[in-house]
Amino acid sequence: MKKENGSQWLLLVAVFVIATCGLIYELVAGTLASYLLGDSVTQFSTIIGVYLFSMGIGSYLSRYFNDNLLQWFIRIELLVGLIGGFSAAILFLVFPLVFSFRIILYALVGLTGILVGLEIPLLMRILKDKVEFKEMVSRVFTFDYIGALLASLVFPLLLVPHLGLIRTSLFFGILNIGVGWYLAWYFVREIKQSGILKITAIFLLLAELTAFVFSENIMRYSETMTYNDNVVFAQSSPYQRIVITRNKRELRLFLNGNLQFSSADEYRYHEALVHPALSSVTAPEKVLVLGGGDGLAVREILKYPSVKKIVLVDLDKAVTRLFSSQEMLLRINQSSLLNKKVTVINADAFSWLRQNKELFDAVIIDFPDPSSFSIGKLYSTIFYRILKNSMRPEGIAVIQSTSPYVAPRSFWCVDTTLREAGFYTRPYHNYVPSFGEWGYIIASPQGEKNWFAHLPATLKYLNLSVLEPLFIFPNDMKAGIAVHANKLNNQALVNYFEAEWGKYLE
Amino acid sequence: MNRKQFIQLTSGLALLGTAWQGCTSRNMIRSRIVGANAAAGHLLRDGKTGTPTTFLKKQLVIAGGGVSGLSAAWYLQKQGFTDFLLLDLEAHTGGNAAHGVNDISAYPWGAHYVPIPNNDLTEYIDFLQSAGVVVQRNSEGLPAYNEEHLCFDPQERLFINGRWQEGLIPQFGVPTPERKQIERFLLQMNEYRYAKGSDGKDAFAIPINASSTDETYVRLDKMTMQQWLKENEYTSHYLHGYVNYCCRDDFGTAYDTISAWAGIHYFAARKGKGTNAEHGDVLTWPEGNGFLVNALQQSIPSYCHTSSLVTGVDATAEGVRVDVADLKTGNYYAVDARECILAVPQLVAARLLKQEERKALVKQHFHYAPWMVANITTKGPLKEREGAAVSWDNVIFDGPSLGYVEATHQLLQQQATRKNLTYYYPLTGGSPADERKKAQQRSADEWTNLIINDLERIHPSFRESIAEVNIMLWGHAMAQPLPGFITGSVRQEMARSLEGKIHFAHSDLAGVSIFEEAFYQGLNAAKRVLKQIPA
Repeated sequence: MKKENGSQWLLLVAVFVIATCGLIYELVAGTLASYLLGDSVTQFSTIIGVYLFSMGIGSYLSRYFNDNLLQWFIRIELLVGLIGGFSAAILFLVFPLVFSFRIILYALVGLTGILVGLEIPLLMRILKDKVEFKEMVSRVFTFDYIGALLASLVFPLLLVPHLGLIRTSLFFGILNIGVGWYLAWYFVREIKQSGILKITAIFLLLAELTAFVFSENIMRYSETMTYNDNVVFAQSSPYQRIVITRNKRELRLFLNGNLQFSSADEYRYHEALVHPALSSVTAPEKVLVLGGGDGLAVREILKYPSVKKIVLVDLDKAVTRLFSSQEMLLRINQSSLLNKKVTVINADAFSWLRQNKELFDAVIIDFPDPSSFSIGKLYSTIFYRILKNSMRPEGIAVIQSTSPYVAPRSFWCVDTTLREAGFYTRPYHNYVPSFGEWGYIIASPQGEKNWFAHLPATLKYLNLSVLEPLFIFPNDMKAGIAVHANKLNNQALVNYFEAEWGKYLE
Repeated sequence: MNRKQFIQLTSGLALLGTAWQGCTSRNMIRSRIVGANAAAGHLLRDGKTGTPTTFLKKQLVIAGGGVSGLSAAWYLQKQGFTDFLLLDLEAHTGGNAAHGVNDISAYPWGAHYVPIPNNDLTEYIDFLQSAGVVVQRNSEGLPAYNEEHLCFDPQERLFINGRWQEGLIPQFGVPTPERKQIERFLLQMNEYRYAKGSDGKDAFAIPINASSTDETYVRLDKMTMQQWLKENEYTSHYLHGYVNYCCRDDFGTAYDTISAWAGIHYFAARKGKGTNAEHGDVLTWPEGNGFLVNALQQSIPSYCHTSSLVTGVDATAEGVRVDVADLKTGNYYAVDARECILAVPQLVAARLLKQEERKALVKQHFHYAPWMVANITTKGPLKEREGAAVSWDNVIFDGPSLGYVEATHQLLQQQATRKNLTYYYPLTGGSPADERKKAQQRSADEWTNLIINDLERIHPSFRESIAEVNIMLWGHAMAQPLPGFITGSVRQEMARSLEGKIHFAHSDLAGVSIFEEAFYQGLNAAKRVLKQIPA
């Protein structure tokens, strides 16, 4: 009788755990979907709907289970632990697979729902011979709903802030499997093949523990901590770490931890980068973009109907692929990289320019800041001389040149370097809230231009009256000393840049 | 999870961890010894020759496709003389400016840079211009150097007192009195740079034979560099370490063995100036001086026979007979020529000529330094110590090796995380003969361990960071200018042409193994040939 009583309570604890875990998986999926896809109302509604409906399917299917109920119950318990436990990790991993992401998302939610939906009816049938029906229904549902309350409280308050999503789901997977293992051990005489169940449970437990220790730690956790917002995408390419974060207002792209753009104000940067130069060329046809694998500069270039061909050369295939396939990113760059006029080439800009024979009307250079000797090469006299060979004499180029406010010597060093390479230059700057004051330099083999004559009328930020003052520099954005041109054998720019940004970040 | 992180985990489980690490890391480095063709060279030493089956006729044979032989050929074809054959026992020409290439980049096997040339070396600068190294000369004749070929910044760093400092002259942690000594030393070297002898010639010139014979300077050839430092009251441990490094770097010979004249020549002979570079600057390429070798060879490919071992050179009534073993086919053939340039080290030349007296003289006076050069392929970025950033040349103060040069440094494109490092190790621990013997006996794994032990000081867990180590042993890498050699008479004697038809060209006749010397050795021999051959 004591054993009977004990087993009844044990099964009720199992109900409690199942209820908690089930709701947690649902919340994980909902949160993840809102992180990754945005529009949290839709995501939560659809996820909850699919989940509850799937539980209904599970309840219906329970009628087909007739024998070895306890054994089935434990099997399902383990299966829920496996699927639910790994669900967040799987969803993060498959996120870059754009098209199949939603299918996998709802499949996982559905599967978890069905399994959880199976459990309660099965349990009630196991208990029906042990407890009076009235008592049983009361107890089972009491534990079920208490579990749900607990889950809904600890999830936002404790789990997400401290464990993150992947660890949360793994943690509850471990709980699920732990309960399954304990049941198998406790009811060893009442079920067949309890040995196999126990071994399976231990194996799964180890797998999830390992995943708990590593995958989170290595792949995401550190990043969630580094970035203020939720990391919705992270990938290491051979060249850099690509991270995308998202909050309610904006989406941000980081390369090696450096902010590349914020969706909230990137138009200020990209309009300022592209239009002053491009609007000063009459009917540009061929435009070259170096760097800028996010396709945002290309989006601006496509506003000129005369442009027939855009070649984008970016080192990192991972970036250009991401920005030509991820739905959320395609919205931001307006699918610019998929435009028929655009050819994307994944190559080293220096090597590519050296072998290029084609002449361009305009070149937009959007390289990362010169924070390393390696990138410093792309701002050198020799690079700009080679660049000139790819430009028509009446063509124009523009170079993003870091912040003239934070790093005036670096900025004017780029200007000096361009002049030494034989360019006429027109430096300018604008304010981009997420960057601060930012600088650009227009360079052309011939100085005379019909400046800004063809500025598109419908820009979000720039107009003619705003443009002119951008070319005026206040005193605190001047170098103060004569700066050296950046050459491969002095790497002057990297040294200026390190000194100036180093001081700024102290 | 990468392997490194996995190792970090398992090392927590001490037993499992160490066992795992122990049995994998060692096996994962591919190491092997690759050849300069010692076997073929020894074929000659052991006097194994065959009877020629075919006979060729040429006006000139150049034996040896190192820099001096190639320079001779380059100059001759430039003058319109092409009736010659250049023979080299290796599969590629280039001598100790040889290079290799893998999927990451090209890399040097030996000489890997040249300093900015002295401005009076007109023909050499002409050559550099034809190779695209000099872009143009300004109105005053100053060369403008191609920025792609000037060593990229950061050029050099030194690991000293537990930290990387910029530049190779010891500074970090060096006490002020010693710093003062170093400054005084550098000032004195600068004075020597512009000093002239009573004969009006530069005290230290390139080529060496253009140097002053003023006794003030000649006497420096009677002592070692270490003795000279002592004589001039330089006692600083850091200065001695620096000077010893320089001597081992340039001559493969320690400063307590090398002639002070040669040691000072290293510091004082360079006085070049360009519009965008000065005498302290260097020109370099991923493949090292292989770049210059290719430029020399480009003009003469059809006249080069590689894998061709010259087995004997004999004066005949009509001229010279040169016996050759074709190492590819195993056939022997002979070339009858009017003249011959022996662009080979003197120990080889004496054997080819089969003159016992010459052999004895060479044995007594010509000494050669043995080197080990290793090319190391890394799996990814190396772990770094504090201080200056990775540079082209990375040296450990007072280390057994000269450190390494990053072959990938001089690439224009964004660097991949995998790199080629060229590790230089002059074998100065004992006498050259002993060191040569010891080197031959070491296995590839033993060399690899030696390299790892050295470089783990500057790159923690270096063993785990590398994929491949290829080792080349240079038994007779370069001539050693021991005291008395440069100003003695043997050099001149050995350089004299025989019967006006066998000429000698090799940097060992200069006494120092530098590109310019080899180049002018070749040019001078070529000019002697041209003088005698009717147009």
